[in-house]
Amino acid sequence: MHEVSIIQNVIEIVTKQALENKLTKINKVSLKIGELSGVMPESLKFAYDSCIKGTMLEESTLGIETVSALGECKDCNLEFPIEHFNKLCPSCNKFCTNIIRGYELYINTIEGD
Amino acid sequence: MSEIKVVANILHTNEEITSQNKQLLNEKGIYVINMMSSPGSGKTSLLERIISKLKDKIRIAVIEGDLYTTKDAERIEAQGVPVVQINTGGACHLDGKMIKGALDSLNLDNVDLLVIENVGNLVCPAAFELGEDIKITVLSTPEGNDKPLKYPRMFENSGAIILNKMDLLELTNFDKVEFYKDINSLNALATIFETSCVKDQDQGIDELCAWLSQQVNINSIFYEACI
Repeated sequence: MHEVSIIQNVIEIVTKQALENKLTKINKVSLKIGELSGVMPESLKFAYDSCIKGTMLEESTLGIETVSALGECKDCNLEFPIEHFNKLCPSCNKFCTNIIRGYELYINTIEGD
Repeated sequence: MSEIKVVANILHTNEEITSQNKQLLNEKGIYVINMMSSPGSGKTSLLERIISKLKDKIRIAVIEGDLYTTKDAERIEAQGVPVVQINTGGACHLDGKMIKGALDSLNLDNVDLLVIENVGNLVCPAAFELGEDIKITVLSTPEGNDKPLKYPRMFENSGAIILNKMDLLELTNFDKVEFYKDINSLNALATIFETSCVKDQDQGIDELCAWLSQQVNINSIFYEACI
């Protein structure tokens, strides 16, 4: 969903970080994308290859770490994977409000010269 | 070669503008609703009913979002409350920058409740915060009870869910038991209303308005306590 505008944001943030850290060329950008974020890694890669042309990221590669969704039940303390947004605890069937991970959408690291 | 730890939120630009919008709305003590649904579920009709019942008690303003036309803003204007129409021209959701522009056109000193009627879309609006106090998603019975699981992000983020066009329930194969079961798995905390905007029926509208009034009043009490 909106992978092109997401990648445009990535390029803007990375370029700013590069300038602040006196890098002139970016070799790699690593993202963390949670499986509940609604963003598709394959579409991001496709958008990345198109959008980096003519920028300081032109020769860089994109790394994506997918973060699987995990909830922690406040009633029975079970940590359980969340599949298809189902937040019912598989042990006690209570609705889990404590989602530990799965919504990430951020730039983790950049590598450059 | 250097590796730099960045840890930067990719959607930060929208979140920064939205945060500024939210601060302004909080300073004015305004309760803000982000109303979302697919096109044609009845958002504008619901708003017309809500405004007609509440406008003498609560000062309401509306921001309308559509790709094109001012049709919805004209309907709201006929109800006698301030309204701004945003035409995105192609964007499938509203964002913080668009809302900022709309807020500049409203006199926020005379508003208790601001309703943002988002672009009709069951996917993208869920990902773009607008500075609201609550997201409300509308689903209508002809759309089918399977939509919450098919479009989970919209429903899991909503503080209230309105099941509209209840007058058509018997004409559809909408399974209410399955609907409530699915919502319970996505978002057991949401308040659910069953409504119909058919004239002279107004099913569920009084309950919805009573609940909305309560939310606005609680917000006012909190605002008065803070200033």
